[in-house]
Amino acid sequence: MRGALAAVALAVVMGAQTAPATIVVTSPALRADQPIPRDYTADGRNWSPPLGWSGVPAGAKSIAVVCEDPDAGNPPPFVHWVIYNIPSSATGVPENIPFEPGAPMPAQMAGAIQGLSGFRRPFYRGPAPPPGKPHHYHFVVYALDGSVDLKPGLTRAELLDAIKGHIVGQGELVATYERKPA
Amino acid sequence: MTFISRRDLLKRAGLAAALPVAHPFQGHDAHSPAPVTERPPETPALQPQREPLEHLTAAESDVLDAVVARLIPTDEHGPGAREARAARYIDRALGGALASSRQAYAAGLAALDRYARSSRGAAFAQLSPTDQDSVLIDVETGTATGFTGSSAAFFNLVRTHTWQGTFGDPYYGGNANFVGWDLIGYPGIRTVVTAEDQKRLERHELKPNHKSAYDTDMFNKATASAAPRGGDHAD
Repeated sequence: MRGALAAVALAVVMGAQTAPATIVVTSPALRADQPIPRDYTADGRNWSPPLGWSGVPAGAKSIAVVCEDPDAGNPPPFVHWVIYNIPSSATGVPENIPFEPGAPMPAQMAGAIQGLSGFRRPFYRGPAPPPGKPHHYHFVVYALDGSVDLKPGLTRAELLDAIKGHIVGQGELVATYERKPA
Repeated sequence: MTFISRRDLLKRAGLAAALPVAHPFQGHDAHSPAPVTERPPETPALQPQREPLEHLTAAESDVLDAVVARLIPTDEHGPGAREARAARYIDRALGGALASSRQAYAAGLAALDRYARSSRGAAFAQLSPTDQDSVLIDVETGTATGFTGSSAAFFNLVRTHTWQGTFGDPYYGGNANFVGWDLIGYPGIRTVVTAEDQKRLERHELKPNHKSAYDTDMFNKATASAAPRGGDHAD
């Protein structure tokens, strides 16, 4: 009986949590389900692409962005970019976020931190899939409430673990890239 | 450098400095060590002049010199691998202890330059330092295309040899003017260390002696030739 009551209480608590709001993710450079331009890949300049977003809930305090490829990785997804602590006032990120340690972030992103990608590097590295089929790159934007203390150097898994229960908005833009056989 | 923090690199290179005679090779006149003591230490490092190459082509040397300059860059800590003539060390060693890497250098340097042109639109040596670093990150992480095998293997090869050429004994053609040893505060090879020397070392006051191991009689000049020109040990 006591167990049943506890289960009901837990269900009530979980039910009280509202589903994350939907964030619309856009880009002046990327198109949904279309190939990523070369400049944002390892075949080009390997710049991080520009992103924009709307629909961030008023209560959000910060933004996190992850770029992941579920068509690669062991286990999937392979992670190309992790960046967080972006002020919630930002409505996007410009292209070519610096990879040099200590390089200043763009003003609207002051305080943002880049976490570790699947390359074990704290910056964006673009698509470089093995030839054979197009891969899908998910640029996922998370809006977070104010109670998350995110330390530098987090991987995607560590970030997602840390922000569990603190996501108040979420959305993604999916683009593709394929390398042809040499 | 960006993807290799200089501090981390120097920590790892400390061992190389402590083993300065570990890579003997042929191709360098054992009786004519590199002119490493002609310039007083306070003289600012000069841009290297084109020297006669022993094994690399001029085009390969240009790419390699640009690469080593980014792996250990000149910065607020002092001169880097370019000033240490790490590329000269590699060029000479490719005729001796590193001879087995000659083909890897020919293929790897050509592939690196092709990749720089195709991805960033210019020869590697002509790119900005930021773009050079970005290219090297791709090579290091194995995402650069056009290499035989993984580009990461070639990166590791060049990085290792750059450490040798920067922090090894100047006798082998690198570490010119002892810039590598000065960079990590290595005071030089000493056959006698007094208690006072030890105290000075701990206070970081021990003056570098700027001497090659082969400046002392107890070390033989090393060769790796088929017909050694003297000396009864090779390291």
